[in-house]
Amino acid sequence: MRNSLNFLATNPCCQMSDNKKMNSIKLVFVCLAALLVGCNQSNTEQPADTEKTAIKVIESGATVQTGLPSHYPIGHSVSAEVIAGWDIEIRPDGLGLPEGVGSVEDGEALYEEKCSMCHGSFGEGEEQWPKLAGGQGSLEEARPEKTVGSFWPYASTLWDYINRAMPFPAPQSLEPDEVYAITAYVLSLNEIVDDEFVLTKENFATIEMPNKDGFYVDDRPDTNNQRCMQDCKDPASIKVVLGPEYSLGKKTNDKVEASTETTVASSEQQAKETYESVCKVCHAAGIANAPKLGNKEDWTERLKQGTQAIYNNALNGLNGMPAKGGRSDLSDDAVKSAVDYMLTTLE
Amino acid sequence: MDGFSQKEEQRLLKTLQQESDNLGLVERRKFLKNAMVMVGAGAVVAQTGSVIASSNLPPAVPSWSRKLGDGVLTNPYGLPSDYEKDTIRRTVGWLTPDRISSISMTPLHKLKGIITPNGLAFERYHGGLPDINPDEHRLIIHGLVERPLIFTMDELKRFPSVSEIKFLECPANGGMEWKAPQMEGLQFTHGMLSCCEWTGVRLSTLLDAVGVKPEGKWILAEGADGSGMTRSIPMEKALDDAIIVYAQNGEALRKEQGYPIRLMNPGWEGNTCIKWLRRLEIGDKPWYQREETSKYTDLMPDGRARKFSFVQECNSVITSPSPEVPLKVKGWYEIEGIAWSGKGKIKGVDISLDGGVSWRPAPLKGMIISKCLTRFSYMYNWQGEPLLLQSRAWDETGYVQPTFKQLRAERGGNSIYHRNAIHTWKVHSNGSVQNAQLS
Ligand code: HEC
Ligand code: HEC
Repeated sequence: MRNSLNFLATNPCCQMSDNKKMNSIKLVFVCLAALLVGCNQSNTEQPADTEKTAIKVIESGATVQTGLPSHYPIGHSVSAEVIAGWDIEIRPDGLGLPEGVGSVEDGEALYEEKCSMCHGSFGEGEEQWPKLAGGQGSLEEARPEKTVGSFWPYASTLWDYINRAMPFPAPQSLEPDEVYAITAYVLSLNEIVDDEFVLTKENFATIEMPNKDGFYVDDRPDTNNQRCMQDCKDPASIKVVLGPEYSLGKKTNDKVEASTETTVASSEQQAKETYESVCKVCHAAGIANAPKLGNKEDWTERLKQGTQAIYNNALNGLNGMPAKGGRSDLSDDAVKSAVDYMLTTLE
Repeated sequence: MDGFSQKEEQRLLKTLQQESDNLGLVERRKFLKNAMVMVGAGAVVAQTGSVIASSNLPPAVPSWSRKLGDGVLTNPYGLPSDYEKDTIRRTVGWLTPDRISSISMTPLHKLKGIITPNGLAFERYHGGLPDINPDEHRLIIHGLVERPLIFTMDELKRFPSVSEIKFLECPANGGMEWKAPQMEGLQFTHGMLSCCEWTGVRLSTLLDAVGVKPEGKWILAEGADGSGMTRSIPMEKALDDAIIVYAQNGEALRKEQGYPIRLMNPGWEGNTCIKWLRRLEIGDKPWYQREETSKYTDLMPDGRARKFSFVQECNSVITSPSPEVPLKVKGWYEIEGIAWSGKGKIKGVDISLDGGVSWRPAPLKGMIISKCLTRFSYMYNWQGEPLLLQSRAWDETGYVQPTFKQLRAERGGNSIYHRNAIHTWKVHSNGSVQNAQLS
């Protein structure tokens, strides 16, 4: 009985309406009817979908399920210490900030070492990596630049995000004082604090971001289209702007690529794939002093230890180099061929 | 080899090879000789795309009818036919600096019905795809609650479960097209969209378990991935229809979708449906995380931005014909597509063949479920005339999918997210289909 009712409750024919007021008898009836005639749902109003309704059905049926608790006592209580390890978010009013202190000056050194290779020494963003500074006053322009300084409403978001997600290759690796310092530095790049500034838990709430009033709660729907059916516009007024011609499968297209290899890629291609998806993030820009791809100077000393030792370091890790680039699911061979690929770029 | 793409050519050669393998030596020589002549002549593809003179076509008895196939468990986890290798997620390389924080799109042009197969649901990662051992994964619920609790995956599965078919859409779907029709196919204009049956425990059931205090108005949902993805979710949504999901289309949630658990907020921005969910904190105010300030806010022409723009408004697109599915010969076709609304059920879809001068209702078909993909279909006898194909959906709130012009007038061209405009495909007289915008 329970099972069949569960089926009713989860049968898509029976869960389409948000009308929670429909009574349980009707629910059974419509669901049974749907079972008998199949799911022809395009026309009728459908009954409610809440499991509570289904339970009512059970209660009014032959097999009564009684004694369901107001809540299920499943799960274990959790101590403040355990929660603290994961409870890392910061709110605009500073709630959640740990004790700590960091100066713009300290932040500059840390930023140069850990952030500038992607975000640029002045927050201008290398290649396609995000910009962190500039763009103030550009939000109404044709090409707005949304950065920490021009767009972000709260400094807490910056502290929170750097702490949880940056530096990109090593999230949650920074100490609180480092996060204070780097946050202070990124704020100074945006001229929100001066070069002498020292950021602390206590003075955090005093920081005002330039665009703090730049947001309002979603007020959609903002369009009001009508179902015009005939003579909706003058055919002569239509101007057609065409997009690119469809080319996939006709010729190779550098813009559009398959996210998974379809044909069996040559091993060299696969090695390049591994490099691109796993190793590049550090080895292209030389993050944490990773030897850069194709840069002989970075590799000369290393090559002297012999290929086997290099393989071993790539497999087992070495200082800032995580074992297998942090991807323990890669096979040893995949890592080795990625190393081979990196070495061939030196030739 | 004229008339063949490289892929078709490879497939044809493979087929020939397979067929010849089934023949005796003499027969084989003869067959291959004929076949190579045939291929060389380059005129082997009929209008239907099938190979003329294939020994697998009637009246010949196909090779696969004359031998036995592989046994069970050849693939303990089944895979699509080798002939469907083109049915894959794809990405657009220039969108992001790196694949670790990037997106891939669902091949909508290959899908039928309303369910997206698990291996084809679009991916979006901000810190790459984590590999999580479920035995070592926990969900903590704390904050303004009577009883802060920690759950194992087994414990979560002891609660009563629900299964619901809901679409999931990245709010940036179509976002590359605000300024011009940039993308070449349906997979790229609309493919940040999937629709699955999601199974899990209602968030409201878990909130009952911890006992939310009356001041609790917002929930911070946080992922266990390297981006520590977070969003602030209003309590009303949590109590309405949010689900903590552990299964997808009947099997365990896929890694790409948040294994072992994710949040599902039906009808809302995909980004709010935090994957690899590890923590829910109840608070009295939103937290203004990076993903609800710097990103996922909609910049308006006056330089201000909409925040908490959660809902994915009513949208639709024609999936066939489309750039990937051109018309090949004159005759009858099913013009088919999908419609969806984050606010409820699709009420109807109209289609236009003339760029919106006149419209006709396209019947809905199959199941019509709230916040779920809905199919529409219109039979059309195409005689080689050029078309400007459009679909316009409306939902049970009475909201009618806007024209691109109407959206632009309200939002300008820099709001990135929530581009749900009526979409146009230009059908050329040779049957090829091209992405287009009307001004
Ligand atoms: C390997 C390149 C790389 C390094 C090194 C790096 N980042 Fe990032 N950073 C990124 C990427 C990629 C994103 C965007 C992530 C996403 O898509 O969600 C980002 C985003 C950001 C953002 C948000 C930008 C916005 O407008 O939303 C901030 C702030 C930031 N990084 C700060 C830092 C800081 C501070 C450091 C050093 C401690 C750092 N990053 C190191 C790649 C990097
Ligand atoms: C998180 C950043 C990071 C990633 C990802 C990464 N590496 Fe490294 N790698 C480093 C750093 C840092 C070093 C330098 C370590 C040192 O010498 O202190 C390094 C060094 C190396 C070396 C030289 C080892 C030696 O013996 O001198 C090789 C080879 C190498 N990496 C290969 C790889 C391969 C292959 C991958 C991808 C599978 C990869 N790395 C991914 C950071 C990274």
